[in-house]
Amino acid sequence: MSDAISAAPQARVVTMEPAVQITDLTYRYRGEKTEALKGISLSLNRGEFLVVMGPSGAGKSTLAAAMNGLIPNFFKGKIAGEVRIFGQKTTETTVARNSETVGIVFQDFEAQLFSTNLELEVTFGMENFGVDRDEMHARMEEVINYVGIAHLKGRAPSTLSGGQKQKLAIASVLAMKPRVVVMDEPTTDLDPISKMGVFEITRRLCEHHDTTLMMIEHETEEALYADKIALMQDGRLIRLGPTREVLRDVDLMRSVGVAPLGIPSFFKRMGEGDLPITVDEGVARFNELSWKVSAPAYQKLTENEAAARAGLGEVLIRCDGLDHTYDTGLKALDAVTCEVRRGDVLAILGQNGSGKTTLAKHFNGLLMPTGGEVLVDGKPTRDQGIFKIGQKIGYVFQNPDHQIFSETVFDEVAFSSRLRKLPEDEIKARVAQALASVGLTGMEKEDPFSLTKSGRQRVAVASVLASKPDVLILDEPTTGLDYSEQRGMMDLVQRLNKAGSTIIFVTHHMWVVAEYARSVIVMKEGRVILQGTPREVFSHGDRLHDAFLRPPHFVDFSNRLGHTFLTPEEMAGCIVRGMEA
Amino acid sequence: MSGDFYIDNNSFMHRLDARTKMALAFLTVVAILMFEHPVWLMPITCLSLLQLYIAGAFRNLRRIRFILIMMSLSSMILWNFFSNGVTPLWWKFEVESFLFAVNRTLLIVLVISSGMVLISTTRNEELVLGLIKIGLPYRVGFALSTALRLLPTIGSSIITISQAQRSRGLDLHVKNPLERLRRFLPLLVPVFISTIRNTNTFAMALESKGFGARDKRSYYLKMEMKRADYLVLGFALVFVAVSIVLRLKGIGQIPGLTRF
Repeated sequence: MSDAISAAPQARVVTMEPAVQITDLTYRYRGEKTEALKGISLSLNRGEFLVVMGPSGAGKSTLAAAMNGLIPNFFKGKIAGEVRIFGQKTTETTVARNSETVGIVFQDFEAQLFSTNLELEVTFGMENFGVDRDEMHARMEEVINYVGIAHLKGRAPSTLSGGQKQKLAIASVLAMKPRVVVMDEPTTDLDPISKMGVFEITRRLCEHHDTTLMMIEHETEEALYADKIALMQDGRLIRLGPTREVLRDVDLMRSVGVAPLGIPSFFKRMGEGDLPITVDEGVARFNELSWKVSAPAYQKLTENEAAARAGLGEVLIRCDGLDHTYDTGLKALDAVTCEVRRGDVLAILGQNGSGKTTLAKHFNGLLMPTGGEVLVDGKPTRDQGIFKIGQKIGYVFQNPDHQIFSETVFDEVAFSSRLRKLPEDEIKARVAQALASVGLTGMEKEDPFSLTKSGRQRVAVASVLASKPDVLILDEPTTGLDYSEQRGMMDLVQRLNKAGSTIIFVTHHMWVVAEYARSVIVMKEGRVILQGTPREVFSHGDRLHDAFLRPPHFVDFSNRLGHTFLTPEEMAGCIVRGMEA
Repeated sequence: MSGDFYIDNNSFMHRLDARTKMALAFLTVVAILMFEHPVWLMPITCLSLLQLYIAGAFRNLRRIRFILIMMSLSSMILWNFFSNGVTPLWWKFEVESFLFAVNRTLLIVLVISSGMVLISTTRNEELVLGLIKIGLPYRVGFALSTALRLLPTIGSSIITISQAQRSRGLDLHVKNPLERLRRFLPLLVPVFISTIRNTNTFAMALESKGFGARDKRSYYLKMEMKRADYLVLGFALVFVAVSIVLRLKGIGQIPGLTRF
């Protein structure tokens, strides 16, 4: 895409020139028994945008790594078949040389930025190719304007927000002017609006600059911009087709383990064909069919919700005018007042850096207020200390690898109980119970590090459950998991709640909030800006937008029709068809 | 908490070439070593204070004040014991050994501050580029700067991990050193594992950005010796030359001092 970025926007150019040709690609990592990729064949024309979806372990990241030769040059293993980029075989040269044609953006934006300021980060790639200084400067200016981070010039990457970091990572790849860009889950750790920012960039790249794009993505709503979708499972390519066709195949998506879109799911459930995909299409179809939402049915829904809330128990945690200012002078929490009642499932939402995690860390005494008060069981956390509160309020950190250290799952789960010097019988019983509730019974002797990410997450949850806390705090429990793992994790959370635990979780995943939370706190710049049931909160689309959030498409769709529905199932139960009305 | 001392500023010291600043730090140490008598260190002390002031680097010294104070105290005590003089001062100490202790303490503080001026005003990349320009191979320089960069990352993961384990009931405040070591295990294992995972992604990202693609690499940062650089260097060289001459003439020493 030389000169592509500076070229004037023109009509979409998808040419028939093949940019990527993958032929019968099979690959097995060294030391693994099964192939990570099994006979993948696909080709992309210049200027096409492909989104690859599938559950964890489907081989998506392996495929991405094969695009610039990281496989098999960096990750050793056995390869068959070939990948050609504009006719050049990736295995015939080095990864570094390939990177001039194929740029890769990784999910982990922390690990891929390594310079001390923004300009140096963007120019790093060009330096490696010996680009001359004036040219580097011009290209740097161009790409930072292109992705919209020009106002951050001179800043250290570590001081940027998640969305800004990922945009910087993209800019630093684009500066090398690659003709093919591969993005491996670039938006997983981002809030919804930052996600849209990244997608907006990718769309422009394809539409105006004939860059060929391959993106791995978990969230179906984001795949809408693509030309094609590839569904992968167990190393195989299950389906490759035009975006709208694949998105309409709701059943196939579900069976592969990818979240189907809410709007087509709803219309399918209602027995319609030729399913609408987007919010606009959904609204148009709904009106065309002259369906109505039944007022009594909707009222019953909200009444049930109100009754459930009224049935919650006593206040367990209360924050009163809570302030927190870090040593650096950053005011992370500003006069937060909220309460958590027994039996609740509370979701804390907000942009990266809005203070969600800081708030959650006050609930179990990890952080102490610098102003105002946090009361647990009516007593200030300051007077109780973390050791004491920790027995009542368990905290599962976002990254399970930040707490796992034992050689066996049993030892890991027994850690807290042993520290608290419980009798060995009691410990055994607790571990067994905790493992049973996360579905890991029989894994006691396994090495926790050999488990998958979702397995390690479960071990982390079990190790907190073993100390039988009243309240369980989970920091982004679904980040980095695929759709069915996310469901599994949240179903587990729901079961724990039914069994009596009070749940607090911090998340970016709006559909998780829609389907699993009972109450919601929305934070922005350290303040609570919205509080209520998911239905109440999601009915304020504009105020959510201010907090860099947005409800799922399906909820948006129902909002446009005048009512807030959280799931297709729920809405389907409240519809009166035109003729019956 | 953070291992980064660079102060993002545009002072006179910041604008000097990295090579000038490295030379300046080296020459400062050479000049200091020429004198025994603390009074003769006063000109250098003033110049160092001036550099710190221009660079705005006093706040970095404040960050390490604990280490500075501990080192100064132990240096004052040790050098009083490890040197002898002829004029009694008090108890076992002589005037000469006291002066010498003051000199050695100043030496420590001045060496640290000149290093601090260097890292407060020079970016990691500039420092490495400066080293490369004076003959260090690029890969060695890059490895060096990567190591420097890893420190803050490890620091922040230690904080998160210790929070995670503390909320599981880990109490690190125990007297027995062996027991304490054992309790640090739940911190060390995850720190190692997450650092290794991070470096793996880092290496991938590095290759994917074309690291080592060409034998010849270009540099975005401009390294240029300007008039100010030559003036500063010239002044420093003259200063050091004068110091050496004084030393050869035996000026600035403490008569009657015996060092062990």
